[in-house]
Amino acid sequence: MARLVPAIRFIDEGTDADAGVLGGKGAGLAALAAGGVRIPPAFVVTADGYRAAMGPDLRRAVSERLAAIPAGATGAALETHAAEVRALILEGTEGHPLAGELREACEALRALTGEETLTVAVRSSSIAEDAADQSFAGEHDSYLWVVGAEEVDRRMRECWASLVTARAVAYRRSAGAATDADADADADGDELAMAVVVQQMAPARAAGVFMTLNPVNGDRSKVMIESVWGLGEPLVSGEANPDRFLVDKITGEVVRREIADKPTQAIRDPASGRGVVIAEVDEERVATPSLEREEIAELVRIARLVERQAGAPQDCEFAVLEGAAPDNVRLLQCRPETVWSQKPRQATAPGRTAMQAVLATLTSKSPSPPAT
Amino acid sequence: MAETRFPSLYDIKAPEGAEGWETLFDWYHLRGEERREEDEQRFWFQDRLHHPEVMHPYDEIQCECWWQGLGAFNTRIFAMPPAYGIDQRVVNGYLYISPIPAPPEDLEARAAAFGERAGHYYEHWDEIYEEWKVKTVDRLDQMKAMRFAPLPDLEDMSLVLSHKGSSSGYQMIEDYSRMVLIMYETYQFHFELLNIGYAAYLTFFAYCKQTFPDMSDQTIARMVGGLHVDLYRPDDELKRLAKAAVEAGIGDEVRAAASAEALFAELRANGGAAWVEDWERTADPWFLIDTAPGHPGGYGHYGTWASEPDIPLGAVKEYIASLQAGEEIDRPTARVLAERERITGEYRELLADDDRPVFDEMLALARKVFVYIEEHVIYIEHWMWATFWAKSHELSRALAPMGAFDDPSDMFFLRRTEVMESIYDVVTAWGSGGRPRGADYWRPIIAERRRIYDRLKEWDAPPALGIPPTEVNEPFTVMLWGITTEAVQSWLESGEDGGNSLRGQPGSPGVVEGPARVVRTVQELEAVQEGDVLVCPATSPAWSPVFSRIAATVSDVGGVMSHTAIVCREYGLPAVVGTGSAVSRIREGQRIRVDGDTGVVTLLDD
Repeated sequence: MARLVPAIRFIDEGTDADAGVLGGKGAGLAALAAGGVRIPPAFVVTADGYRAAMGPDLRRAVSERLAAIPAGATGAALETHAAEVRALILEGTEGHPLAGELREACEALRALTGEETLTVAVRSSSIAEDAADQSFAGEHDSYLWVVGAEEVDRRMRECWASLVTARAVAYRRSAGAATDADADADADGDELAMAVVVQQMAPARAAGVFMTLNPVNGDRSKVMIESVWGLGEPLVSGEANPDRFLVDKITGEVVRREIADKPTQAIRDPASGRGVVIAEVDEERVATPSLEREEIAELVRIARLVERQAGAPQDCEFAVLEGAAPDNVRLLQCRPETVWSQKPRQATAPGRTAMQAVLATLTSKSPSPPAT
Repeated sequence: MAETRFPSLYDIKAPEGAEGWETLFDWYHLRGEERREEDEQRFWFQDRLHHPEVMHPYDEIQCECWWQGLGAFNTRIFAMPPAYGIDQRVVNGYLYISPIPAPPEDLEARAAAFGERAGHYYEHWDEIYEEWKVKTVDRLDQMKAMRFAPLPDLEDMSLVLSHKGSSSGYQMIEDYSRMVLIMYETYQFHFELLNIGYAAYLTFFAYCKQTFPDMSDQTIARMVGGLHVDLYRPDDELKRLAKAAVEAGIGDEVRAAASAEALFAELRANGGAAWVEDWERTADPWFLIDTAPGHPGGYGHYGTWASEPDIPLGAVKEYIASLQAGEEIDRPTARVLAERERITGEYRELLADDDRPVFDEMLALARKVFVYIEEHVIYIEHWMWATFWAKSHELSRALAPMGAFDDPSDMFFLRRTEVMESIYDVVTAWGSGGRPRGADYWRPIIAERRRIYDRLKEWDAPPALGIPPTEVNEPFTVMLWGITTEAVQSWLESGEDGGNSLRGQPGSPGVVEGPARVVRTVQELEAVQEGDVLVCPATSPAWSPVFSRIAATVSDVGGVMSHTAIVCREYGLPAVVGTGSAVSRIREGQRIRVDGDTGVVTLLDD
């Protein structure tokens, strides 16, 4: 069967493919890479790759099995039905026709990372997720610290199977019912597809998060960066006290800098290569800033870029590798900021003349808030 | 534990051996038991910006001029709503100042008056500023035209033929009176536009802070400043002279010169006369640049570029060396302006739609007034004060041989009213043909004052006295003196924990490390090497040539609008200003890190 879209695409192969092909996450990464943001090397097993690997018979079987779930099934009953469909997908794709192509892609990715063993994250990239409706976010599976091509294959298939969690089925049914009852079969049947992103687990020297505004007061002229030594997991989960840099988006000044004591860091488990362990930080680095000035500058550049591309404030994760900025800075993922973005922007002094503004300044209680 | 207040103004004792220092200064500038209760309720800080050093009695006129001028325009002319003037006391020869707030109950009425009065000025700003330049230069020319010389044995015949009807002695009395009055008047002019200019700038500043709470002061300054203004002209003239020397093929000769005097003589004799004439034309007025440390014009005993041509010549030599090495020496004005437009445009984009019209209007007003804020220093602090001091020295050289006192420098140990008395004394004696009492009368007094002055010079004046406010928010105090709540707090804490860092205000962004070069006066600038971090009391246009070879600047005094901050932004150098104690705490050659983003200076080695 001739395919219009390849089953596997490396992330830097251009942006002609959209979320319908690469899934929301995959398309987002491809857009970042095309926009000049360095991301860890990655490829996407496209929605067509899913279809090709499943084959028409299995797809039909899945479709029929889904249609056979009683309309009233909820709770444990729905769980059971969903688990049966997932098992159908997992078993049915064992030894799927994409396996050889996937192994080659894994080897190519390993070569790109320059590492001996391939260590990746395998993430679902739903073609529905990150589209107009965000509600699917997090519904599907993601696997970190996946080592070697064989495990990638298995995790990829688990991602495919995660299309059919009980919640996803329930959601799809109610959404379909609300919009168009006829779409029901389509939504659960042939149109069901899942792209999968396979991306290097960046071996971070430091990592963190940034927001393209100051989350404390909503000031959109700032980027707030938080970072720790090592991998970002303890920061994201709130277990580590990070360094904090508030940077002017327009001038690049670091207007506030709080350096935390960072006695421990998360590193890749040296024994298994899978998962993280907490290690001590060398004494002289405990109170040292985890980001260099040039790395901060690159992060600000990235922050401006992703915000402009998305057209709204963003909340992102990043890693900083060994080596020097800007080459060592990697963006891991981005999502829309949700607190300040929802609020209407308030004018400070609408309809005032300059003279009225001068008088207002001079008669207010504290006319000039100095930088404190 | 940190103290919560500073010593009282009245707890300060005279340094040993300097008892009786009060006789050097005007009685109304001093403490008095009857004003003690009121004075002790107030917060006083040392005016290191204008008067970092102990004052000569004669120099007291400088601070008196602004005591009155700043106050009159705030309090009586424009009715600045929240603020009256700034009060002064001289303690141990150093100037302490304290802002006087306007009564809160008058705020509304003053605001109405201010709107009408300042409104008129804002509306006609450009034409008023043109008039201002004309009247200021007119006063400058009047002062320059004065000549002080020993009075003649016999008056010139022309005085007879012109039927003038009054003597040269009378003329000396009149000229001295006029000189003092002209200086007093032009320092009024100085405040005519300055305070309301700052009010407009502060408005834009407050608006930015309200809209973008984390926007740095210096970013706001960058949106407003950076125009091609006369402030940079003296330095531009040095560069022009350097280029002219290279073009005339005398670059090496200029660079090799041992002194300006020798160079000019040699060039005049050997075909370089045109360049020397160019220099001399340029020197008036562009080298009327006062070389006082800190704020220019504050003291009578510092020369100008014109009177000490070795200073500007040193800079010209460096510019020639740069030109010969093929380097660009012009200021990157176009780049600064382009950056200003970029920053402004990108911030403007972030505004709510409703805010853009008022933003545009406030920015336009701030930029308009800012030209004056940057330029007035040339007209008043440099041209007027430098001329006033030069004429004062000329007068002292006329009076000493007439017996008013022994040595010309003695005059500066007399208060200006005492100088007036001395002129009456010698003019009377000259007229009558008798002998003035002057030198005999003053000799022991001046000897005693010199001794006291030397003692006062060694005194370490505390940065502040009295009860500090919980928050410093008086706009001019923050903007001009760089005195913030944090600065006051760090003064309270210092002495207990110096630590390895100093805090000031971020003056110009960027972070740099380098060896510290502690420079107290313009004369010491020659020692500054490429890549040094300049550590100084403050800078003025006299210091301009040094900015092309330093890596960063740290100053004791000044805010985000100080000369140091403005020029460092222009040159793209990090600056931390208003640290209060960098000159005394940082050692020559010590490695330091200057963080112009956060205003912190870190001492890297002990």
